[in-house]
Amino acid sequence: MNLLWVVLLPLIGTLVPLFTERFGRNICAFCVALLPAWSLILVLMYAPDIFNGQAIRQTIEWIPAIGLEVSFRLDGLSLLFLLLILGIGLLVILYARYYLSLKDSMSRFYVYLMLFMAAMVGIVTSNNLIQLWMFWELTSISSFLLISFWSHKSEARKGARMALTVTGAGGLALLAGLLLIGRIVGSYDLDTVLASSDIIHAHAAYPVALILVLLGAFTKSAQFPFHFWLPHAMAAPTPVSAYLHSATMVKAGIFLMARFYPVLAGTDLWFIIVSLTGLTTLLLGAYIALFKHDLKGLLAYSTISHLGLITLLLGLNSPLAAVAAIFHIINHATFKASLFMAAGIIDHESGSRDMRQLNGLWQYMPYTATLAIVAALAMAGVPLLNGFLSKEMFFAETLNQSVLGSLSWTIPLLAVIGAAFSVAYSLRFIHDVFFNGQPVDLPKTPQEPPRYVRIPVEILVALCLLVGIFPAFVVGDLLHIASFAVLDHTVPVHNLAIWHGLNLPLLMSFMAMVGGVILYYNRRHLFEFQSHFDTTDAKHIFERTIQSLVKAAESITNTLENGSLQRYVFTLLLCTLVMGGLPLIELTQNSGTRASIPLDGVTIVCALLMIFSAVATVIWHRRRFLALIFLSVVGLIVSLTFAKFSAPDLALTQLSVEIVTIILLLLALFFLPQSSLKESSNRRLSVDLLVAGLIGCVIGTLCYAMLTTPLNTMSDFFIANSKTGGGGTNVVNVILVDFRGFDTLGEIIVLGIAALGIFKLIANMRIAIPARDDKGRAWSNDPHPMMLEVVSQSLLPLALLVSAYIFLRGHNMPGGGFIAGLITSVAIIQQYIAHGVQWIKPRVTIDYQWIIASGILIATATGLGSWLFGQAFLSTWFDYFSLPWIGKFELASAMLFDLGVYLTVVGAVMLILANLGKLTTSERLDIQENN
Amino acid sequence: MLNIAITIAAVLMCLSLMLNLWRLFKGPSRPDRILALDTMYINSIALIILFGIFSRTTLYFEAALLIAMLGFVSTAAMCKYILRGDLIE
Amino acid sequence: MLHLPILPILLPMLAAALMLLPPLSQSITRQRLFAVTIMITLVIVSVWLLLTCHQQGTQLYVLGGWQPPFGIALVADRLSALMVLLTAILGLGAQLYACAGDDKEGMYFHPLFMFQMLGVNGAFLTGDIFNLFVFFEVLLIASYALLIHGGGKQKTKANVHYVILNLVGSSIFLFALGILYGTLGTLNIQDMAMKVVSLNEQQQALTKAGGLLLLVVFGLKAALLPLHFWLPKTYAATSAPVAALFAIMTKIGVYSILRVHMTIFGQDAGALAHMAIPWLWPLALLTIVMGTIGVLASPGLRLSIANLVVVSVGTLLLAVAIQRESATSAALYYMIHSTFITGALFLIADMITKQRGKAEDRYVIARPLQNPKILGIAFFIAALTVVGMPPFSGFVSKILILQAANSMRETLWVWPILLLISLVFLVALSRAGTTIFWRAAGDNTQGKPLAPLKCIAIALLLGASPVLVIFGGPITQYTQLTAAQLHSKAPLPNSKLPIKKAKEMPTGQSHNAN
Repeated sequence: MNLLWVVLLPLIGTLVPLFTERFGRNICAFCVALLPAWSLILVLMYAPDIFNGQAIRQTIEWIPAIGLEVSFRLDGLSLLFLLLILGIGLLVILYARYYLSLKDSMSRFYVYLMLFMAAMVGIVTSNNLIQLWMFWELTSISSFLLISFWSHKSEARKGARMALTVTGAGGLALLAGLLLIGRIVGSYDLDTVLASSDIIHAHAAYPVALILVLLGAFTKSAQFPFHFWLPHAMAAPTPVSAYLHSATMVKAGIFLMARFYPVLAGTDLWFIIVSLTGLTTLLLGAYIALFKHDLKGLLAYSTISHLGLITLLLGLNSPLAAVAAIFHIINHATFKASLFMAAGIIDHESGSRDMRQLNGLWQYMPYTATLAIVAALAMAGVPLLNGFLSKEMFFAETLNQSVLGSLSWTIPLLAVIGAAFSVAYSLRFIHDVFFNGQPVDLPKTPQEPPRYVRIPVEILVALCLLVGIFPAFVVGDLLHIASFAVLDHTVPVHNLAIWHGLNLPLLMSFMAMVGGVILYYNRRHLFEFQSHFDTTDAKHIFERTIQSLVKAAESITNTLENGSLQRYVFTLLLCTLVMGGLPLIELTQNSGTRASIPLDGVTIVCALLMIFSAVATVIWHRRRFLALIFLSVVGLIVSLTFAKFSAPDLALTQLSVEIVTIILLLLALFFLPQSSLKESSNRRLSVDLLVAGLIGCVIGTLCYAMLTTPLNTMSDFFIANSKTGGGGTNVVNVILVDFRGFDTLGEIIVLGIAALGIFKLIANMRIAIPARDDKGRAWSNDPHPMMLEVVSQSLLPLALLVSAYIFLRGHNMPGGGFIAGLITSVAIIQQYIAHGVQWIKPRVTIDYQWIIASGILIATATGLGSWLFGQAFLSTWFDYFSLPWIGKFELASAMLFDLGVYLTVVGAVMLILANLGKLTTSERLDIQENN
Repeated sequence: MLNIAITIAAVLMCLSLMLNLWRLFKGPSRPDRILALDTMYINSIALIILFGIFSRTTLYFEAALLIAMLGFVSTAAMCKYILRGDLIE
Repeated sequence: MLHLPILPILLPMLAAALMLLPPLSQSITRQRLFAVTIMITLVIVSVWLLLTCHQQGTQLYVLGGWQPPFGIALVADRLSALMVLLTAILGLGAQLYACAGDDKEGMYFHPLFMFQMLGVNGAFLTGDIFNLFVFFEVLLIASYALLIHGGGKQKTKANVHYVILNLVGSSIFLFALGILYGTLGTLNIQDMAMKVVSLNEQQQALTKAGGLLLLVVFGLKAALLPLHFWLPKTYAATSAPVAALFAIMTKIGVYSILRVHMTIFGQDAGALAHMAIPWLWPLALLTIVMGTIGVLASPGLRLSIANLVVVSVGTLLLAVAIQRESATSAALYYMIHSTFITGALFLIADMITKQRGKAEDRYVIARPLQNPKILGIAFFIAALTVVGMPPFSGFVSKILILQAANSMRETLWVWPILLLISLVFLVALSRAGTTIFWRAAGDNTQGKPLAPLKCIAIALLLGASPVLVIFGGPITQYTQLTAAQLHSKAPLPNSKLPIKKAKEMPTGQSHNAN
């Protein structure tokens, strides 16, 4: 035997309905019941050990990092709850079989129900705080699913969401509380925690932990002010209400308080919070219940009130009160579950739950009526029924406390008032529904339900009677061991008897009874009194709160994320300014020790030209063609600067990139408006100018500080090893194809992807051609001027020759695959410009994407080649050979790599430019031109 | 002697660059501007060659060659643009 | 296998190139088969790499045989291997989903997807900061192209924002690298970490500027407040498989922050130690808050999920900012969890969107879904995971982070925020779910049945969630070891492949090339 199976069986049971539904509803229900029944049998087999005062434990390691273990324990309290959960659960399975209509999916219902049952079983048997919380949340989830079972109904959806939100919030608080307890104790093991009551009480965080745990318990157990979700959870099918919202789930909060009673109770804080919350809930629930016309609504508020009673008892900090609380848990579960089931039968058979319609049902369903009446009397606390006994104990305990100091006498009084209301609503339930004239406008004629659906009610009502008449015999031992667990092994003497003699509690019972009858008799006045109050529906308040939260969130988001790119860039630049600028404040001196290169006239002139052109580009950015020309000047001077400061490779690259860019921009420019409107206000412009200026200052300062600091980099290594290690005298090229060839490989891939991406974007695009240029002049009529054609065609071989030359010498002199590729592309593009797409088409049949791919493949394959020699990827090889007439020459694997670079560049540039050129249709609309 | 010649040439080239920029700035027509840019390319070639002679190296001649070639393409493309709008038809 | 660390880069690289050439380029079916095969191989390789790194320690792969710091080195440690595996599985899911038809909506989907994988894997594996920049470029440029997959005005607009912001970001990146190279004289991350201690005061200030600029760049990539604005609309607009894959993109930013600000500017960095932390704390918290507000405000499911991405970034960086080993471990677990779940959610949202006609994914009453059961279960599981409800991975990661916030100050900031956002998610997602699945009018007879591939894809990503819980023990153990590795400053291991004998550096003054 294994304790694990107690939880696992119901959990596995969630799958049973899915497989058995096809065999019919009876077999399905029967099979579903099998596993929990088995689990119940297992529990009963453990029972003797428990009654001997043992607790059974089982632990498997799971996630030590969060202190989570699969850890179960079975003690008296768990046993009591297990019996309730599994026992009533089985009855509910039977009841639901007949309750659910043919339209409802039976398997879905049972899946949820079994999930819930497993979760409940998990809670009460957990021996690990985190695991307990896991199951706790699972009950919230399964409860959500069950309440929303009839998801087409708005109130079911809303009720489910509300229940989930409230209990979910409580669950989060509970998690925080449990984690805090775990941190205080240093362990999440329940045994350890329960043994650490002194540490917890003494810890500074105790009040916080207590409040957090209580938040969890109160939300779950529908204690004031979190009680409002429970009545709305009544949108669930009645078996659910009977099971979750009276017998079990709402008791989980009570269970939690009982479980942590040894470590959290016993302080004034516990006393004040728990007992006063319980008292308020008790009175409020009892009062509201009387005014509910809905049968289930009445029962829901009654449940709230009884849960308040149990909470109050637990809050009294007296062992006897705790015993009474546990006793009332049992009693309430039995009579309330049977009442809900009876209410469900009435609803099912008569089609209404409104007590203003339901009258005089005694004539139609006397048997059901009898059962319901007995259960309702138990609820009212009539002698010889179980409710009476626990209520007696409750009264006795209220006399035994001193919560409010000298005002403590009010508590028994309030308890009696609460009990009187309880009697009143029980009476209303009995009298209004079963007597009080004839039914009013019922959709159906009521009749007795099928035989089997009454069995669960019969069993529960029988229990009410048995416990009420032979309390000590029926539940004495169970109560004892449960109290044993809660009270940390010291159970006070209590006497479960019907007759304790004439005493004050009995008198209080009597007063409550009489008071209840009087209240019920005068109910019309009370109803009238109550109608003066504006009773707002909790559901509406809840929904409205959520709505206004959403509205607030929307307005915040819309203000901040307004979809303006300018704003986003502005924020980015502002961040740059702050992050780049703040450290500069710490920098006391912005010029380093490095000597500067002497200035010369040409440099100064060039610098001035560049500054002038850059500023002009910005100022005239809305006159695009002009801006482009100025941009060309900037590019030209940048490449001159590279040449001047000993970087011929960069100069060459800059030049070729420059031209390709200009052609690209010219191509794109055609599709844009020739001049754009002024889009920014002057204020905006000045702010932008300010930020741009500040960033310029920061970047300028950084650059200056950087450039004047002596450099101590690894470039010396490259210079020293370029010839010997890389086989080339051009260090820049050796860095590109060898030292950092991997970067180059990445960059050519970037280029290739860019080409593919642009082609992907424009592949299916066709743009209409403007009929005239921006000045309104007609276009020239000659698309391919002969001069241009001739010159371009003769340029092609020359350019290719230059390209080959630049490529071949690259390893030792300025040049290389990248520049060569750009030159080749420019030469081909020139042919496109001069001759047009139609002319090129038959002459170039190769797909440019193939060139890109082969380029990448060649470069990669070169890198892979080194694997054959047991070297790392991209390890290079070179050697010198000599041939007659040609002389000594060098062969290097890097050249093959460079070939890959060359091809990718050519392919990428051609794919982009040639296709940008194809965006327009070849025909120009002459009609428009002639206009 | 050579250095003096180079200096004078460089000063003149710079002057020419500045004048070209002025023309570029003034316009008034687009062809004026394109011509100014084209001339700036040629001035740059001269400056680079001068710099090469000055530092006794042939390293920069390819740069001059490239400017010559690519400058032509650029100018041709811009002309095509103002004539036809669409570079590649 | 000596070349194992580079395989996750080379495999997609070759695959992408081959798919651009005939015979693969001509048939989408062949591309699909090929791409899925490669992806599965990639998953296997990643698992292998992870096991190797776990058992044999960090793997060094020196490209070209040039001894670091001079050459580029790939450094596959536990973190890199984990991220690569994460990417591979996420990629496989997204790709399977795309193979059900989304890949036909534009050109080059599979090659670009592979290039994207290449970029991401490269970024995770490289140990060289300039190489990181290169791979950032690869993954960014591929992401630009992928974002517009399927076309349409929304996508193009969102993409323009994304491209321009990232172009600015890239220039800042380069700038920061220039500064760091100028002061530290090296690009190898480990080497930078060594050199950062011995800087003079002036260099320190400059280095700090460089490091903080990198924080801006990575913050932009990760979508850290106030640089997160681009994310929600971009992710919501793009096609589902791409959005799913992009679940890893923000994590790259976080990963880079970990590498730069924990390895280089970590606790041993002297005066520059932890320079990003004072910024990370408030920004991460605000990111969480803003993202949560965004989730609540979203009128549609995809936008909600996109905002969830923002929240997850904030949460991750919050855990990073705590700076404790346990917090880093929590962050790593959270990273795995949130990557998969966001990916799955984007896919689910897409399937929902396609079944709801004109209502798409908006929270309005619409026609009922065709497959409410399967989609409902999937959405339900995903929602529970996101909210952090048991029994799915969300709760483990939540508890890990809560537990890692140890001190009083940390507890007071982290606990309320993390718990409250869970509540907000609960409200928002229960509202979303009930509206989409239950508030329906009319019948739904249009549309096609569920594509099995799509379901497999979703199951793969969603399945990660329970797996993360069931095998929570070993996984958290792995993340703990990973965190320990990150926090300790170990020298680079030896390369298994031969290293070129480099000539001694000349002692004289440095001179320019040629």
